Amino acid sequence: MGFVFDISLLQLTMVMMAPLIIACLGEIIIERSGILNVGIEGIVTVGSVAGFLGTFMMGSPVLGCLTAMMAGGILSLLLAYFAISMRANQIVVGLGIFVLGLGLSPLSYRLAVGVVQSPPQIKTLSGVPVPLLGNIPYVGEVLFRQNILVYLTYFLVAAVAFFLFKTPLGLRLRSCGENPRAADSLGINVTAMRYGACVVGGFFLGLAGAYLPLLITGTFTDNLVNGRGWLALMLVIFGRWMPLWAFLGALLFAYVDAFQFKVSSLPQMAKAVPPQFLLMLPYVFAMLVLVKVASGAEAPRALTRPYDRESRE
Amino acid sequence: MKGAWSEEDRRHAAALAATYAAAAALALLAAALFILAFGGSIRVAFATVLQASLGTWGGFAQTLNKFCPLLLGSLAVAFGMRGGHFNIGVDGQIYAGAIGMAAVAFGLEGLNLPWPVFVPLGILGGVLAGAFWGLIPGVLRVRYRVSEIFVTVMLNFVALYLVDYLANGPWNDPLAGDAITVPIPKSAVLPQMLPKSGGHMGPLIALAAAAGIYFMMSRTIIGYEIRAVGDNPTAARFGGININRITLVIMPVCGALSGLAGAIEVSGFHQTLLLGLTGPTGAPNYGAMSILIAVIGRRHPLGVILAAAVFAILMVGSDSLQRSIGLPGSAVFVFQAIIVLTVLYVEARRQLST
Amino acid sequence: MSAAPPRVEMRGICKRFGEVVALDRVDLEAAKGEIHALLGENGAGKTTIMNILSGLYRSDAGEIRVDGRPAPIRSPKDAIGFRIGMVHQHVELIGNFTALENILLGHEGTGWVLRAESQRGAVEEVASRYGLSVPLNERVKALPVGIQQKIEILKALYRGADILILDEPTTMLTPQEVDALFATIRKIAEGGLTVIFITHKIKEVLANSDRITVFRGGCRVGTVRRPEASRELLVQMMVGEREFPAGAGRPGAVASSSAGPPALSVRDLSLRNADIHLLKDVSFDVPAGAIVGLAGVSGNGQRELAEAIAGLLPVQAGEVTIRGRSVEKLTVAARIALGLVLIPQNRIDEGILPSLSLAENFVLGLHPYIFKRSGFFEQGTAHEMARIAIRDYNVLTRNERVPSAHLSGGNIQKVIVARAMALFRAIGGGILIANNPTRGLDIMAAAFVHARFREVREGGGGVLLISEDLDELCSICDRILVIHSGEILGGFDGPDYDVYRIGELMAGVRRRQP
Ligand SMILES: Nc1ncnc2c1ncn2[C@@H]1O[C@H](COP(=O)(O)OP(=O)(O)OP(=O)(O)O)[C@@H](O)[C@H]1O
Ligand SMILES: [Mg+2]
Repeated sequence: MGFVFDISLLQLTMVMMAPLIIACLGEIIIERSGILNVGIEGIVTVGSVAGFLGTFMMGSPVLGCLTAMMAGGILSLLLAYFAISMRANQIVVGLGIFVLGLGLSPLSYRLAVGVVQSPPQIKTLSGVPVPLLGNIPYVGEVLFRQNILVYLTYFLVAAVAFFLFKTPLGLRLRSCGENPRAADSLGINVTAMRYGACVVGGFFLGLAGAYLPLLITGTFTDNLVNGRGWLALMLVIFGRWMPLWAFLGALLFAYVDAFQFKVSSLPQMAKAVPPQFLLMLPYVFAMLVLVKVASGAEAPRALTRPYDRESRE
Repeated sequence: MKGAWSEEDRRHAAALAATYAAAAALALLAAALFILAFGGSIRVAFATVLQASLGTWGGFAQTLNKFCPLLLGSLAVAFGMRGGHFNIGVDGQIYAGAIGMAAVAFGLEGLNLPWPVFVPLGILGGVLAGAFWGLIPGVLRVRYRVSEIFVTVMLNFVALYLVDYLANGPWNDPLAGDAITVPIPKSAVLPQMLPKSGGHMGPLIALAAAAGIYFMMSRTIIGYEIRAVGDNPTAARFGGININRITLVIMPVCGALSGLAGAIEVSGFHQTLLLGLTGPTGAPNYGAMSILIAVIGRRHPLGVILAAAVFAILMVGSDSLQRSIGLPGSAVFVFQAIIVLTVLYVEARRQLST
Repeated sequence: MSAAPPRVEMRGICKRFGEVVALDRVDLEAAKGEIHALLGENGAGKTTIMNILSGLYRSDAGEIRVDGRPAPIRSPKDAIGFRIGMVHQHVELIGNFTALENILLGHEGTGWVLRAESQRGAVEEVASRYGLSVPLNERVKALPVGIQQKIEILKALYRGADILILDEPTTMLTPQEVDALFATIRKIAEGGLTVIFITHKIKEVLANSDRITVFRGGCRVGTVRRPEASRELLVQMMVGEREFPAGAGRPGAVASSSAGPPALSVRDLSLRNADIHLLKDVSFDVPAGAIVGLAGVSGNGQRELAEAIAGLLPVQAGEVTIRGRSVEKLTVAARIALGLVLIPQNRIDEGILPSLSLAENFVLGLHPYIFKRSGFFEQGTAHEMARIAIRDYNVLTRNERVPSAHLSGGNIQKVIVARAMALFRAIGGGILIANNPTRGLDIMAAAFVHARFREVREGGGGVLLISEDLDELCSICDRILVIHSGEILGGFDGPDYDVYRIGELMAGVRRRQP
């Protein structure tokens, strides 16, 4: 079973991991402030189309990523407005945003691209080995012969973890998700923190969407996201709202995903196990993990609860 | 008891009508913008939508055929919401129901049953399979406190690939191509209501189900308990209601409703089991639409019937727009979301001002 | 006229919450170096006025001055700017943060990086100045309440507060902790700070304050200096000149129908949360045909007791018997079936289904019984019953179809009481537990409810009446128990009660002082 530790399998794992964890980081930031964003799948979808179109039309992956981040930020701001200012039910609004995202993406794609014979393509990013590190046998080859976006992912995981746990602003953000009244009584502007978290988190969600065409497919299809947003939402619970644990979780999920991908391309396996059962694997795995993890996980105490200074409780 | 409307009822109804009028106006405005963006003429486009969906018998039949899964799926969401449960798994449950129907159809093929026996049996198979698919998140919620939102979403994908497997593997019809099974036996096909134009009996069954849910909610003790739990679980518990038991009723019923939709899709519409019956990864995405129709219909069977009818028209109409000006079918999602957000906005405003 | 202006001065403060007038033109002042106590019954407005001073609530009218200068306080941030710090009634700490993080929050020092350790010295310095040593690295939720309280105080002092507000700081503390707390408070005041503390407990006030302001019903009754205060005077000020209606409503001795088992019997019931005793070896009986009152300041375990008996809270130890049947293992519904009816404390959260109609609210809990015959939910029956209740209980509503959330608090309470009485009748009830059933009801409505309770008694049922209103208890109960910190401190037989003695027990004074 040398296959299980095959270098190309693990390299693929890192690629599959990247969009998952980026989306998950965005959701962690949002949830840490006390807002639950169940529209994540829709926002990531919009991010993916924005990232694709931005790259395709402006010819620059950087601009593509920025477009995606803007799109994610705007949708997330919409959620913030309903959840924070209007104190609407966050789950219902989130579901609305989810469907809105599902609708907007093919619409904008068709609007920009029109009806064409062959779908437009962008170049997926190619690997840029890190000097020295990339030459470390095995570990280096897996981790450091990747493309820029994967490196960016490593950086963002560390940066978000650092932000949340090692900066004053991170401390304040977490306090809003745990006990907004305590935060408020210490002079922290809960509303502003929550809005900020939603917008910044939205940038991440959009970016996660942009990863998909840039890293994996090079094209946009309606089912590009394929539940990854929901998976990221679960990863938040799996990672107990901590970036580093979520990172491990994302690796695990991505490994399962990459594994099914690789296995199904092996001719002898395709005979033994129908590929559909391999495709199911990540989702079944996610459910099993959730059963194990859910009862122990402790969400931010004020998650989904609107804050109103003058109301009791 | 019926009595005349009181002043308050009238004011309430007027506010409601105004809310929906505003929401519809915004959605129409968005629609007009899309149509212009896609280079169509607004007047022609709106005429096309109505003509395509209601203007011909064939179109009308198509609209009815779409209405059926939309109504059942939305009922499955609305019913759960009434009890405080979020069922995002309509797609998966539709697939489960479709598998159940197909399994009965293929499994009992040799018995040569007459249709009045065969069709109900098949539909029962679908309903049970859907109920089972709904029971899983119920059990996980009660046993492990796992949110039903996640489990229902994940089960969508599991069911999707299950159908993918069945339609490509054991039940595949090599002549028809990928991801499609051989046709179900003739005697397992749901009779047609509009035989010339291809409208099946499904919508009647769906309406009956809506009536059943309405009756259950308003006239049975369990329905009352479900509404109580959905409104305030703490107070319900103080009133002696066992919330776990309610969960274990709600979720399978949600599944059964969607499962019924899936069974009808196979037995009445496609007459075969195929991928692309519904979402979550492509059109038609009944699951996503059902969520918002349930919200727009205020989680009430009557409201859901109306909203489902409107969106069935829009779905069929937008199909024709897709052909004529290339407007993708997913535009309907955007209209839905706009309506939902507008309604939420108006209601939140009202809440905040009291 | 050269006296320095008071440290804090509040003039003509008004505050309403919807229809409730929480504060009505209240004045208050506190001097530098003073320990000022605010005393009053539940709902008197003590917390509200301090929330206004600390910026959490905005007053509708009135003026605040600090050191004689106007202090426009619109948010907690403003209050911090005027060096006002408040420790809230329910500890407002973040359980998942360490003590140090809680203290530093919002005041983390400069720079982009959190350098908690470099601030530690400063925190420890403040801590040692006031003798408030706390384990700074522990997560707060793992710490006992006494320590949490210290952290809260430290939090305020670290921000440089020199006007320190403590809202009922002693409710959850052990006697030793209380002594330590007041030693700290004394030290703080001697350092020139102003301390305002809110309490119900007269003993604490007399032992630890310089001046005392008493509130009643949203108004200030008066301010007295400690040397002029006495227990009698303060009780008088708190409860006012109240006369008990004589005659008809007077309770009699317990109807000695010792033939059957008691309606409710509780033995050694204990309930703990971490290391706090919410209930400690509670034992008592409610005989059939009697109304037993449970007196106590709210938050002393009444709620837990009621919920534990009803099966809503799991208990660690003890026995509960309803009419001779042991019920510890039974579900809520099964206990109801055996004859137990509970009127919950929190009418909104625990009592009503806000968007369901009044009629549908009326049958909650009753529904397994009244619809038994047909097995269906009969709207007609529900509406009919609700209409009768609306008439009998004089519920102010347009009709029985409106969502119950549209009713005012008092009318919601009437519906809940009416429902409980109907349920009691339907199950041939044995014991009615009512947790503050007349809060927010007017005199007539309260009298009506009391009449229903007497009917229960006459019919051979038992009533456990939990109330913070001593007059109510005295006017109707055959026996009064006093609960304090989860313990039953004593019992009194009617009809003539020693109100002052009961008041002392409610305040935790166990033995009469000479
Ligand atoms: N945020 C709020 N919303 C609505 N009503 C409130 C609010 N805060 C206080 N009230 C009402 O204002 C009145 C005064 O309440 P307050 O909390 O000041 O009383 P208190 O004297 O502190 O009582 P306790 O001893 O029970 O703490 C009560 O009638 C209460 O119901
Ligand atoms: Mg208070």
